[in-house]
Amino acid sequence: MTVLCVGLSHKQAPIAVREQLAVKEGEIDARLRQITSLPGVREALLISTCNRIEIFAIADDRAAGEDVLESLGPTAAPHAVCRFEEEALRHLFRVAASLDSMVVGEAQILGQVKEAAVHAQRAGALGPYLSKALARATTAAKRVRTETEIARGAISLSSVAVKLAHKLLGSLEGRSVLLLGAGEMAQLAARELRSAGAHELLVANRTPQRAEELAREVGGVPVSVAELPGLLERADVAICSTAATQPVVTREMVARSLKARRYRPIFLVDLTLPRNVEPSANELENVYVYDLDDLERVAAQNRDLRSAHVSQAEQIVEEELKAFLTASHERSAVPVLARLRAHAESVARAEAEKTLAALGPLDEKQQKTVRAMASAIVNKLLHAPTSRLRAEAGEGPLGDAAAALFGLDAPQPAEPAKDAQTEGAVLPLLRRG
Amino acid sequence: MATILVHIALVAYTGAAVAFLAWLLRARPWLTKAGRLLLLVGVVVHFAAFGVSLGVAGAGLGIPAWKGGQLFSLLAAVTVAGYLVLDFKYDLPVAGAFVAPFTVAVMVPAHLVHSDLRAIAPEVTHSLLLFLHVGAAALGTAVLALAFGLAILYLASERQVKSKRPGRLFARLPSLDLLDRAGYLLAVWGFVFLSLAIATGSLVSREVTGATFPLAPKQGFAVLAWALFASLIQARLVAGWRGRRVAMLVVAGFLLLVGTYAGLLSAAPALQGTAA
Repeated sequence: MTVLCVGLSHKQAPIAVREQLAVKEGEIDARLRQITSLPGVREALLISTCNRIEIFAIADDRAAGEDVLESLGPTAAPHAVCRFEEEALRHLFRVAASLDSMVVGEAQILGQVKEAAVHAQRAGALGPYLSKALARATTAAKRVRTETEIARGAISLSSVAVKLAHKLLGSLEGRSVLLLGAGEMAQLAARELRSAGAHELLVANRTPQRAEELAREVGGVPVSVAELPGLLERADVAICSTAATQPVVTREMVARSLKARRYRPIFLVDLTLPRNVEPSANELENVYVYDLDDLERVAAQNRDLRSAHVSQAEQIVEEELKAFLTASHERSAVPVLARLRAHAESVARAEAEKTLAALGPLDEKQQKTVRAMASAIVNKLLHAPTSRLRAEAGEGPLGDAAAALFGLDAPQPAEPAKDAQTEGAVLPLLRRG
Repeated sequence: MATILVHIALVAYTGAAVAFLAWLLRARPWLTKAGRLLLLVGVVVHFAAFGVSLGVAGAGLGIPAWKGGQLFSLLAAVTVAGYLVLDFKYDLPVAGAFVAPFTVAVMVPAHLVHSDLRAIAPEVTHSLLLFLHVGAAALGTAVLALAFGLAILYLASERQVKSKRPGRLFARLPSLDLLDRAGYLLAVWGFVFLSLAIATGSLVSREVTGATFPLAPKQGFAVLAWALFASLIQARLVAGWRGRRVAMLVVAGFLLLVGTYAGLLSAAPALQGTAA
């Protein structure tokens, strides 16, 4: 069995590549089913956020990694990274603990990892191994948040956007903010801008009903997307997070609004993949377009300040990873022990019965004594092998040697999907963490 | 006495420059406080030196004889005073890091390098017009020097925002909006003083030479600078120009004004004596 992680993040691929690979939420389950149907792949988890698209899988061998990589498409290949075994698990733990995030210490990623687990479970792709790994990764992430100061002062990308708005526009008192789309991060930014004194919050959405709901939630005014050119003349900050696959705010649209705006600066924050705002709009005078990567660059300034907390967080991740690996090895050793004991006991039982039949009628006490003797021989004989196998925790050659010596056939691997569904323990495990 | 006071002011300005530049490297609040205090002490002592100088001359409003350097010294003092007012209103320590070293750079040659006395034409020695002309020119130049400084800061800051690669000083720079508004306000006041300086200078010139507007590099640069600032204000009011293009126009206007002073220094002695 192999643990593998294939994919790319903001560290390997620019936003232009990531936006081509992003998997829409509605397509994740289908993609997971496609991955688990690949030869040798038993379990899979797909994390697709603005900053990463990564597949964690449990497979029969490393060769499955190539198929998983292929499933990401040719665009991913030049940028993708393959990690195996402990390295793959370490990456999962680091991702959940926000140590691999654009803004180290941000809280959103843990929610995104949990959401990925829900998708995997729904698609029947989450088996016992990955669910346990996820549970432990969640524990590590929570420890990192509570035991280190990494989250304190960690600024989310939405906060970075608000800071930049201040840098450009000074006071936000009396400013107009346009919220285009319903992304969570955009809503956060809009709320922060509102509390920083923004005069009006215009909420535009493809669905008027959703726009009204959102406007109620964030204390804004619903407006129609059809009025976008006019809204661009009015807004000082526009936060875009629609699910559109093509730019919604084009350079031409912004250029046309400039004269009507009397060259007032406009700050366009693009918080989605694929991008909503044409990047070339940034070339226009008094127009400032920031996408996710740009915000990361600004956030990176803040990262160095927390390097001491980061090393403490890394230590926690290592501790939890080690604990998970040890427990996992112990679990993998147990089946051999169980099979060995079951085999020995069945032999002892059979021989005791054969002896009792040969001895003729015996009273109950005598029968019990014969059976106890057989059982005692088994226990004495298995004592040393059992201790050694437990100590080895499945890491050394003794497990395989015992199986070979005693002719213990490996049990058929359980269907992961079936396990996940029948156990029903995946989500509780995650929640418990 | 006046010389000693000027030297004390120069020491205070130098201390302020060191404090502000140190603040750029390490943002300690006490450094900006020290810088502001030293600038305030420097400018008070500096103006006192001018008072003593005029008192010794016993000339009241009169400007009996000016060394070339004294004019620049006056400009430096007015610029520092203008900065302190601006800083009080907008809290702009980063501009202090520009103004304080600039002041020292102007003061050192102005006071350590001796130049010849410029004889003022006797008929205007005690003229109110000349006083107004010199005062307006000094105020206008100082205010426009500050506008120039803010324009440079705007261009540097805007470049960082546009390129999305914030440098080390990015956090210390004020908002683009503040730099734009303050820069424009200074450009308007600079334009007002410049207009007054040109008008009074023209009248002084008529008294001395008979020509209201003698053709000389100094006057040419001054009028060009005035026209440029007039266009800038017009474009802002009518078309709403702001930001980068306004900052670039302010830089160009101030450079033209520097040309005026270059013209002043290279002009004929008779003209040099008539006006600042």
